[in-house]
Amino acid sequence: MNRPTQKVWDLLTSLKLTIVCLSALMVLVVACTLAQVRLGTLGAVNLYMRSWFYWIPLGGFSIPIFPGGAAVGLVLMLNLIAAQAKRLELSWKKAGLWIVHLGLILLFVGEFVTSAYQVDARLVFEQGQTTNFLEVPRETELAIVDQTDPAFDDVHGIQEGALARGGTVAVPNTPLSVRILAWQRNALLGPARPGLPPAGATQGVGVGLAFSPLAPVTSDEQRDLSLAVVEVRAGDRSLGTWLASNAIEQPQAFSAGGRTFSLALRDRRLYLPYSLTLEQFRHDVYPGTEIPKNFSSLVRLQNPARGEDRNVLIFMNQPLRYDGKAFYQASFGKGDTLSILQVVENPGWLIPYVSTILVTIGLLVHFAISLRRGLRRAAAAQEPAPQEAA
Amino acid sequence: MVRPSISSVFAILAVAAGAVACSREDVTSYRVAKVPTPVVASAAPMQAASASLPPAPQGGALRWTLPAGWSEKPGGQMRYATLQAPVTGRLDASVVVLPGPAGGELANVNRWRNQIGLPPLDDGALAKARKSVKTKAGTVKIYDFTSASTPPTRVVAGLAEGKGDTWFVKMTGDASTVAAVRDDFMKLLGSLRFE
Repeated sequence: MNRPTQKVWDLLTSLKLTIVCLSALMVLVVACTLAQVRLGTLGAVNLYMRSWFYWIPLGGFSIPIFPGGAAVGLVLMLNLIAAQAKRLELSWKKAGLWIVHLGLILLFVGEFVTSAYQVDARLVFEQGQTTNFLEVPRETELAIVDQTDPAFDDVHGIQEGALARGGTVAVPNTPLSVRILAWQRNALLGPARPGLPPAGATQGVGVGLAFSPLAPVTSDEQRDLSLAVVEVRAGDRSLGTWLASNAIEQPQAFSAGGRTFSLALRDRRLYLPYSLTLEQFRHDVYPGTEIPKNFSSLVRLQNPARGEDRNVLIFMNQPLRYDGKAFYQASFGKGDTLSILQVVENPGWLIPYVSTILVTIGLLVHFAISLRRGLRRAAAAQEPAPQEAA
Repeated sequence: MVRPSISSVFAILAVAAGAVACSREDVTSYRVAKVPTPVVASAAPMQAASASLPPAPQGGALRWTLPAGWSEKPGGQMRYATLQAPVTGRLDASVVVLPGPAGGELANVNRWRNQIGLPPLDDGALAKARKSVKTKAGTVKIYDFTSASTPPTRVVAGLAEGKGDTWFVKMTGDASTVAAVRDDFMKLLGSLRFE
C-alpha cells in the first residue's frame, strides 16, 4: 500500500473515528429531538437523520455545516467493517466477535434499506366501505384517470417531483400531455380579489380562484393544501387550464378523443391487487369509564388472484401482515364508524431482528469460548506439576 | 489475518449510495377495478394547514336554519361549513362556495354523479333530473342521485347562486342514512338566505 492509501486505511480503521462518529450521532440525536418541537417528527428525522448533511441557508446559498445521520451511519459502518478486517483474526477463537460485528453491520444496512425503501401509508375506510388503495399522506400526485371503461379505471399519477420541476409531462398510453404552469406545496386558496389575481384556470371549478403561497406545515397533525395549475393538451390542441388542489374534494372531469377523464390533486396512492372491506370497527372501553380497552377492525380481505376471501381482525399490536405490508390499527373517527390503518412496507423489516439475534448469538458464543478457555486454565492450574524422575 | 482491499470498501460505499439515491419515476400508471369513491374526504383525519380560514365570498354569506339536532362546524379553504346530522352511518354534509359559475352546473352535477359511479348526463337529462325550490336566497336547484353499487350511495345537493358566487349545499352517504335525514335536509335547503 502506498502512503496516501495507507493513511486513508489507518484513518478508516481507527478507534478515534469510531468515537467521533458516535459523538456526532449523539449531537444529531439531541438536535433532532429538540427540532421535533418546531418541525414535527418526520421533518426533524428527515432533516437530521435521513440526510447526508445538515444545511443552513447563507445568503442565496445553502452550505453543509454538519454531517447528517446517513453520512455518519455510513462512515461508522465502513469503520466497523475495516476495523474488524484489520484487527480480528480469522480463527474459531474469535468466532463470537465476528458474529457480533456482523450483526452490528447488518443493523446499519437495515437502517439504510429502511430509509431508502420503507413506505409509510395509511388506509382510511368507513364501515361497509371497500377500498383497493393506500394513501401516502405526505406526498402528492396529480391523478389523470381514464374512466371510460365501465369496469376499470386507467390511473396515471404525475408525482410531486415532476410537478415541482415543471415543464410538460406526457401521460402514458393516452394522447394527453400536461403542462405544469404553477405548483405550490402549501397555499391558501380562495376567490380572486383586488391584489390577488386569478390563478389562470379556464376550466373546472377553479375558474376565478386565486392562491397565496404558504410555508409547508411541519406539525404531524397538519397537512399541506397543495395546488397545481396545469394545461392539458391532446396532441397540439389545448383542452384548457385547470386548477387542481387537494382542497377540492372531488375530481374534475373532461373529455378528449371520445374518452372521459378526470383530474385531481390528491395524496399519492398505492393501488393493491386485492381489496379490503371494513366489516366492523370496535372501540371498547372499560365498564363505567371512558378509558379505552380495545380498538379493533374486522376486515374482509379479498384477493381473487389467490382465491382468498377471509375475515381478519386487526387490533392494537396485532397487525395484519400481508403481501409484504403490515397493517396496524392507528386511529379512528366519525363516531367510531371510520377506521384508520397505518400501513408500512419495509423490505428490510426483518434485518433488525436478524441483527439482534446475531449479536446475541455472538455474545453467547464469545462467552462460551471465554468460559471454556477459563475453565481449561483453571483445570490446568489445579493439576499437580509433574514430578521429575529421580 | 484478513485485510480487505481499499477498492472493496469503496465498492460497498458505491452500492450503499446507489441504493439510497434510487428515485421514483415521474408518472406511475395502474389499471384498477372501479371502486366507489369514499364518502368521507380522504384527508379528514388530518387537519388542513389553514382550516381556520374560510373563503371570503364577495356577495354576502349564505345562511340557513339548522333542523333540530343538527350542528355545523366552520370549514376551510373550499369548504365553507360542515354540517352534522344526528344520525349514525356514513354521511358527509357540506356547504361549499366557489366564485363565478364554478365550471358550470352540468360539470358539477356530473362530478357528483362520477363520485358515486354514475355515468354523466347531457343537458337534456340534466333538465329532467333538476328540481327547484324557492327560497329567500332565490331559486335553489336540487339534484338527488343514488348509485347502483352495493350498498348504494346517495347524493342530494342544492345549488344557489348569489352575487357572483355559486354555493353548493350537499349531502352524500349511504342511501339509507341519507334517506333518514333527507326531509330535514330539504327543510334546511328551504331556509337558505343571504345575509
